[in-house]
Amino acid sequence: MADSTRPANVSDPGEAIPSAGRLLFVAAGVVFWGWLLATWVNRWLGGPVVPVGEPFVAPGTVESALAALPLLSAYATDLAFVTRISPEIARGIWLTVVITVVSLAVGFFIAVPLAVARVYGRLTAYVSLVYTELLRGTPLLAQLFVLHFGLNMGQYVPVALSDVFARNVVWVAILGFVLNGAAYQAEYIRGAIESVEEGQLTAGRAIGLSKVETIYYVVLPQGLRYAIPSWTNEFVYLIKYSSLAAFITVPELYYRAFEIASDTFRYPMIFAVTGLAYLCLVLTATELMARVEDLVAIPGVGGDRER
Amino acid sequence: MSDADSNPDADANADADANDAAESGDRDYLRVADISKWYGDEQVLDDVSFEMDRGDVTVLIGPSGSGKSTMLRCVNRLAEAQEGEIFLDGEEVTAPDVDVDELRREVGMVFQDFNLFAHLTALDNVALGPRRVLDLSEAEADERAHAQLERVGLADQTDSYPAELSGGQKQRVGIARALAMEPKLMLFDEPTSALDPELIGEVLEVMHDLVADGMTMLVVTHEMSFARAVADEIVFLDEGRVVERGPPEQLFDNPEKERTARFLDRIASHD
Repeated sequence: MADSTRPANVSDPGEAIPSAGRLLFVAAGVVFWGWLLATWVNRWLGGPVVPVGEPFVAPGTVESALAALPLLSAYATDLAFVTRISPEIARGIWLTVVITVVSLAVGFFIAVPLAVARVYGRLTAYVSLVYTELLRGTPLLAQLFVLHFGLNMGQYVPVALSDVFARNVVWVAILGFVLNGAAYQAEYIRGAIESVEEGQLTAGRAIGLSKVETIYYVVLPQGLRYAIPSWTNEFVYLIKYSSLAAFITVPELYYRAFEIASDTFRYPMIFAVTGLAYLCLVLTATELMARVEDLVAIPGVGGDRER
Repeated sequence: MSDADSNPDADANADADANDAAESGDRDYLRVADISKWYGDEQVLDDVSFEMDRGDVTVLIGPSGSGKSTMLRCVNRLAEAQEGEIFLDGEEVTAPDVDVDELRREVGMVFQDFNLFAHLTALDNVALGPRRVLDLSEAEADERAHAQLERVGLADQTDSYPAELSGGQKQRVGIARALAMEPKLMLFDEPTSALDPELIGEVLEVMHDLVADGMTMLVVTHEMSFARAVADEIVFLDEGRVVERGPPEQLFDNPEKERTARFLDRIASHD
């Protein structure tokens, strides 16, 4: 992120007139998320606006409307097709978003202790090291296969959780991404913790805080702020890596796209649209994290600090 | 240190210490006895001994690398002495079963590099210890922090972050942070060495006030005029050894050892 000029941050609309590019970016975001939310809500409520699985505008209407326009007439058929598949795409995005967010959030709570153990532990540092290298050093797809086909983890999903998704395999995918993502997150957080000055720990100990208390009250609040920019990488990666869940039959975005493609054989068009959807998700994630970084920024900690 | 009290093996020692303290009143409030320390093969402290009474100000001086800071850190166990003993208010600081966190509540420390908690405002820097170590309520801790910031003349900077403060202000917050724990003893590790010359005065002023308030202070500094003005005793360390100690007028004006005179000459030529 080009955040070296932190004071002129983009999250404060009062400070500067937004550029045209910025306006376009925001407008695209509103359209994307408006369409997504509307499609999801329509499905959850059993189709009060349009029947579930149908687009909000009939593909035929799109085609005839565009055919009348001089510049867009050549793409009328394609865009009508995109309109037709859009409800399935939105349905796939739902699982992609849920899997990513849940995996990232749960993984975070494993990653922090892993990182702390790595920096401040003795024996635990080795445990953390072995875990991290094992999970980072083997293919994620292989890990998912082991969890799903090898260990059949789906059978252990507790009853309370198995009602959340139509199929338990979603939980298996989340488990895989949690275990793997925690290892990557731990590396980002470890690097950030190590950049917190040694004197901070000494000062905490000197007023009588224990080592654990000092880490909790002094080191982590600073380290986690430093970690935000690199941690955003993991967010972005996970959005895209979550497509590997398709290989253990989780019907997320990539799975839906592949299904439609093998039905219609319109691979280039479908994967262009799918790619665009992933891009929108990734841009949302980076925008979100930039705002989080601004929100928690403290003078002298992160943001304007050289890394 | 209550661990030591509850340990039956330590009782004999504790009784002996109590007798010592009773006989001497405030004498030997801090007693450093034959402290030696090595980093690997290198000996950094060699049989260092000195005593302080309650309310005394002792200044450690000496060339860099002479072990002054290490000596200071042995008192609150940020550094561990391998030989010798240190007693504070009749209790052995260096005993292996001492709860170091409890010890550090009673010994405030001010650092050369300030080491303020970078993510906390001045008020929260000072209030963190009272809140989390002394378990005071949020309101009590804030009140205490306010009082200490006022004491160091920073009542108007409570909401500033360390990055927004000048070096002198940072160090005054550092002093307030240590004072908020209401320590028995304050350790100052070259508190003005990282400051621009024009900011040294405001920190020394606060330290003068503390002396006037009767605070017991062990200070490592190169500020010889401060040492001369407030110290009850000067301890000159060189190569980990106490070369000479005495009241400032004696040590500064009539040093007995040639090495002391040479060091003082060198310092003076820089003033």
